[in-house]
Amino acid sequence: MLKGTQQGTTSDTQGEFSIAIPDGAGSTLVFSFVGFLTQEIAVGSRTTLQVALQTDNKALEEVVVVGYGSQLKREVTGAVQTVKGTEFKDIPVSQITQKLQGRLAGVQINQATGKPGQGMSVRIRGQVSVSAGSDPLYVIDGFPITGNIDAVNPDEIEDISILKDAASTSLYGSRAANGVVLITTKMPQPGKTTVGFSAYAGIQKVPRKGRLEMMNAEEFAQFKKESYEDAGDEVPEEFINPSKYRDKDNDWYDALLRTAPIQSYTLSVTSHKENMSSSVVAGIFNQKGVVINNDYKRYSLRVNNRFNVSKKVEIGFNIAPQYVYDNTPRTDGDRGTGILFNALHTWPVMPIRDDSGELTLYNTFPGSTGNIFNYPNWVRASNELINETKNISLLSNAYVQYNPLPGLSLRSSINVEYLTAKFFFFNPSTATSAINVPVPTTAVSIRQSLENIGWLNENLATYAKSFGDHNFELLAGFTQQRFRQEFARIQGDTYADDRLPTIQGALNLSRGGTNNGIQEWSLASYISRLTYNYKGKYLLTAAVRADGSSRFGVNNLWGTFPSASVGWVVSDELFMSNIEKVSFAKLRASYGVIGNNNIGNYTPYALVNNTVNAAFGDQIATGAAVTSLANTNLGWETTRQFDVGLDLGLFNDRIQFIYDFYTKRTTNLLYNVQLAQESGFGTFADNIGEIKFWGHEFSITSKNLTGAVKWNTNFNISFNRNKVMALADGIDRVYGTFHITQVGKPFGQFYGMVKEGFYMTQKEVDDSPGVAGRSVVGGIKYKDVNGDKDITNGGDQDDRTIIGNPFPDFTYGITNSVKYRNWDFEIIGSGSQGNELWMRHLYSTANLDGVFNMVRKANDRLRAQKTEDSWEVFHAGNGIFGQTAGRDGTLTGLERDWPSSHFVFDASFFTIKNITLGYTIPTQNRFFQSARIYGSVQQVYVFTKYWGGNNPETSGNGAGNGDGGNLSQGIDFSNYPVPRSFILGVNLNF
Amino acid sequence: MKKNLLLTGILGLLITGCRDGFLTVVPETQLSSATFFKTESDFQQAVNGAYVPLRTIFNDRAWKLGEMHSDNTYYARNILFGAVDNTENIADFALPVSKGVTTNDNVLQQFRQDYQIIARTNEILSRIDDVEFDAGRKANLKGQALFLRAFAYFELVRYFGKAPLHLTPATNRDEATAPLSDTEALYSQIETDIKEAIALLPVKSEQGEGRATSGAANMILANLYMVKKNWAGAESVLKTIVNSGEYSLMPDYDDAFSETAGNKNNAESLFEVQYLEGAAGLNGNFFYQFVPTPILAEELAPLTGTSNPQGLSGENNNVPTPDMIAAYEAGDKRKDISIGYVTLSQSLRVNNKIYPYIKKYARKHSLHNNTGQNWPVYRYAEVLLFLAEALNEQGKGGEALPLLNQIRSRAGLADVTITAQAELREIIFKERRVELAFENKRWFDLVRTGQAREVITAYGNRIKANPQAYYFPPASNPPSNAFTVLDDYYPLPAVEADLTPHF
Repeated sequence: MLKGTQQGTTSDTQGEFSIAIPDGAGSTLVFSFVGFLTQEIAVGSRTTLQVALQTDNKALEEVVVVGYGSQLKREVTGAVQTVKGTEFKDIPVSQITQKLQGRLAGVQINQATGKPGQGMSVRIRGQVSVSAGSDPLYVIDGFPITGNIDAVNPDEIEDISILKDAASTSLYGSRAANGVVLITTKMPQPGKTTVGFSAYAGIQKVPRKGRLEMMNAEEFAQFKKESYEDAGDEVPEEFINPSKYRDKDNDWYDALLRTAPIQSYTLSVTSHKENMSSSVVAGIFNQKGVVINNDYKRYSLRVNNRFNVSKKVEIGFNIAPQYVYDNTPRTDGDRGTGILFNALHTWPVMPIRDDSGELTLYNTFPGSTGNIFNYPNWVRASNELINETKNISLLSNAYVQYNPLPGLSLRSSINVEYLTAKFFFFNPSTATSAINVPVPTTAVSIRQSLENIGWLNENLATYAKSFGDHNFELLAGFTQQRFRQEFARIQGDTYADDRLPTIQGALNLSRGGTNNGIQEWSLASYISRLTYNYKGKYLLTAAVRADGSSRFGVNNLWGTFPSASVGWVVSDELFMSNIEKVSFAKLRASYGVIGNNNIGNYTPYALVNNTVNAAFGDQIATGAAVTSLANTNLGWETTRQFDVGLDLGLFNDRIQFIYDFYTKRTTNLLYNVQLAQESGFGTFADNIGEIKFWGHEFSITSKNLTGAVKWNTNFNISFNRNKVMALADGIDRVYGTFHITQVGKPFGQFYGMVKEGFYMTQKEVDDSPGVAGRSVVGGIKYKDVNGDKDITNGGDQDDRTIIGNPFPDFTYGITNSVKYRNWDFEIIGSGSQGNELWMRHLYSTANLDGVFNMVRKANDRLRAQKTEDSWEVFHAGNGIFGQTAGRDGTLTGLERDWPSSHFVFDASFFTIKNITLGYTIPTQNRFFQSARIYGSVQQVYVFTKYWGGNNPETSGNGAGNGDGGNLSQGIDFSNYPVPRSFILGVNLNF
Repeated sequence: MKKNLLLTGILGLLITGCRDGFLTVVPETQLSSATFFKTESDFQQAVNGAYVPLRTIFNDRAWKLGEMHSDNTYYARNILFGAVDNTENIADFALPVSKGVTTNDNVLQQFRQDYQIIARTNEILSRIDDVEFDAGRKANLKGQALFLRAFAYFELVRYFGKAPLHLTPATNRDEATAPLSDTEALYSQIETDIKEAIALLPVKSEQGEGRATSGAANMILANLYMVKKNWAGAESVLKTIVNSGEYSLMPDYDDAFSETAGNKNNAESLFEVQYLEGAAGLNGNFFYQFVPTPILAEELAPLTGTSNPQGLSGENNNVPTPDMIAAYEAGDKRKDISIGYVTLSQSLRVNNKIYPYIKKYARKHSLHNNTGQNWPVYRYAEVLLFLAEALNEQGKGGEALPLLNQIRSRAGLADVTITAQAELREIIFKERRVELAFENKRWFDLVRTGQAREVITAYGNRIKANPQAYYFPPASNPPSNAFTVLDDYYPLPAVEADLTPHF
């Protein structure tokens, strides 16, 4: 730019420029570039100039993406944490959320199952709700999407902002209560065209250490033998000589596992031209699972384009199509679906392969050996069942931005999300995932197709203006969003030929399994925000959103969600100027009201089910019945949150420290209040109750060494607590699977009997409280909690109480990175303390009846010998498992069937999530500009005392399709193990 | 460029303009109460829906609460199975009772299913008069609804002796519970409803197959009078049924019971719970709950005749007791029709692996675990036996004999000639046990005649003295608290007690 004129030019991609200067020597050229200090150079007589601009430290101060805009980090008044895409690029996993484990304060990210592409649970600030969802809202490039981000290619991501407090999230109104995750995809940066290629490949396997240790064939036979001997019964012939199984062990669990490859390739191109800039990222990700026949593939593309139509008008188009293929054996869940769980408790004396090397169809032992189940071959189940999903999705934005006046910007956008998902399940006649289903079984096919279409229109105006040291920015807008899902499901069974699982090939179409449906919602909103600061030192933000939602009852259609926050940059004050060690200090406080509208789409309506059919003679008569009660007052859940924080930079920001304290109250929880069923209805959807949450978050970033060796450490730790203050009138508790949520207590606690040990003598049985007819010598002894001398499970004389907590006392993460010359090294750890797991699989894997294989720890169980009229303990054992001498399910079943502290174990852990070592090849050559190779190990090691399985982060449900939900967290069904991966990777820039 | 902006603006306005409608999204694939109960067809469907809980009750609960809770049937203990207390406790008269309520799940489910019928019929009865359609068809639908409501309350009063009385549908949380009504109040409501139903309902020959008829409604009224010992009232109502000419005994006892796909609602049948074999989800599987286990596929196949028999493990229920087997007189044809035997190679019993099972429900069918035979609720044979009993109780033993002997002669037994009231009472009572075996009558009969405590105590002593005769494997026994809870009525369910302030 020629000073004092409108004349100017821009440099080309090589940084070269030319400009004609009319009056030569007296002219001054002004060089400017985003992020650099403007420089003026008098031309003089020179005809070539070489200019190197100085970076502008002030301007380069980190910009943070916040809701509906961005802010300088130093001026942010809410609790926001940002992670750059480059920070997690080397971590060889498919999901972004996996890559974030250990990095975020106040955000608990757990991997409930090791299935590729699935199972991550994200809870911001310990948010829970009784029955509304607790997942945060995910916003991709300004578009609040309806699902999660599991399938988004992490290489497309520029940065991620986590909005934690109400002031940061309130512009998302009725969807903000669980926190908001803002994802910004890669936009072209000023500069020349770049081409990058990165790839990695490696293997995954499940380490031996950490697996649940089960008895081998010989140990199992020995166990069976002892259980007959202790009972004084004749030992069945099969178990008289356990050593005959010494070389005939069948490790059913191991037979399902394999070493599996993982690979990822990403090609990215960015170009920046005068009027158009573009960024393209194409990815292929291919992960075979460590369970046989598990296959996950993702092909993704993202094209982000920006056009500067004129100086005042900018248009952008982003489009991101994607295809995901996933075939997952039915690994997770209880006996009906979980082949891993089933494999664990299958008798190891049963052969996986027959004498000719063929996989057996199924195995049974004679009833005289105590076998009552038919064990299908789980390897067949894994190989032969088809359970595949094919998703095609598209995420797209288009916007026009018009800047008619300096400081004023008008922006209008249309966003579309589309998903079509095809699911196919086929259970051939030769295999089944459920125990005790005879093989050959009835072949079943399920086809499901689902189509989601959502759109969002946003119209926003932003005006920024400064009056002296007073800086204002005002945002106002109107948005509307609509979403529609259509699905159809067809289930057929009984096939003549397993090779043709077509719909027309099914002899039966299942009435109950064949259905279709539509889910739809709409949301209209007004938003506004005022940001003000004085000299960048005193900061104020006020925001409000009004949401009208089709999900709310007609008497409660609109909700308003206001917030305000203030900040004070203390270090800018004069009195701080002589405290040199403190380079930056900011105090923040915020308060706001936010909502959770995950209450179901049609909850306010009373629904009539018209498939309540009856038979009369040989005729079917269609029937109908009202199945729910209407609630026209139904609304969103409300959370009021207060946050105070301190941001501190020491020693010229070498050490940065962030602290937040929050407290929030969630009221109007959506809950299907249980009704007395004499009304004919089970529940009534209502807004009830109150939960109080509070917590502390610390994070510290330290540049330990800054010389030739650069060493940085990040550490964060979070403490989340909650207490249920109220539920509905007359209801002080809500039960989960093995859980209770009770007024005055923390949410979702483990609930059951307290195990005191075992009855050691008949006198102890006679003198102590017990279960009539079931408490025996050597059997489990429960605590008489209510002191009525009787042990009762449930009812009015209940002895159940809170016996554990699936939620941690605190979670923490630590990242160390070291750079030396061309080498870089990083190690990431993530931990959780005080969380417990309910080792649900013990009801089978330590069933004292001897009908299943047993955990190895049961070798050292309590043993008692049957006497004439009682039992006599002769080996106390490790205190975990009782005697088998009763040999009657009524007696031994007490330990197995009654939920108790017998199943609850500490699952605190510290996991070294990732170690990466990289080397940047120093030479530039004509093939590429820079190149780096690295090796990375994922899920390196888990430090834990938990012995129930490989993954102390696990949480599951019996159906194997979820993490149990809010009310029932922390149940270990022996889900898919989390593998350890070793990979080699390369990053090239051309 | 300006065009684009203009376009955006217009688009924005268009969408903004229709905002009220924009926020109204009604369920498209489900009906809601706002759109239902408008036409005759809606009420027809609602009445059909009100029959549905009967399928669950008779498939899963009624035989536990009415038959296994007596000396007719028992479970056959499989010691490898725990978690069977809910059913064993009923057969063992060892229900956990605390403050008048029980945690037993069978009791809970029976209670809930009856109230499903009541809620559905209340919904119909509260709305049907507001919709205009053919008076005759409306009367029929109302009659069926009243019949079903009376049926459900009659079950409740006989099981529990007291129950909350709901006669209108609940519309909010406050209306969900009602105070307990006592036996007399419930009897009175049942009588009112069933008398109205009798007036509204057509006779069997004019009614759709399998639906409630005036004859079935009369039988409920008669049964109520029998329970109340209103013998004269019972006699009069029962004679109405006999004189209607709508019913007769099937010549062969075996034919009194439906096949899986035939002989349903036959001439002897007053009311059956309707099942339909196949994939429509309207089938039963109660025989599979009765069949002795562990049974191999090849042992089961001859009993069911299916193309895909599969072995069953678990603990079997509703096994005829030695007492029941001994109750048949020599030469009674009904014995071999009602009871069969099967040998279980996998049984844990050592000396005797032969188990009796209820043969009259073992009808051949196509697919494993999917049966279509109906459950006989009221048969003409019981009309005759009730009438004989009502007459004898009024000292008219001579009139009672021909009725009783109709039943006996079909069974191949000699006529009874005794007319002494006390002796005849005993004979009729025994006849009921064998004629109506496994039809969930025994417990109600014991209670109705005031013999429950005495009969069950003796029966319990026999089991405790010789558990192996009652299907226990060696060294296994009934629980120590067996046969200690001998009340005439079941305690109300604890889960429901937690949800109501009234009990």
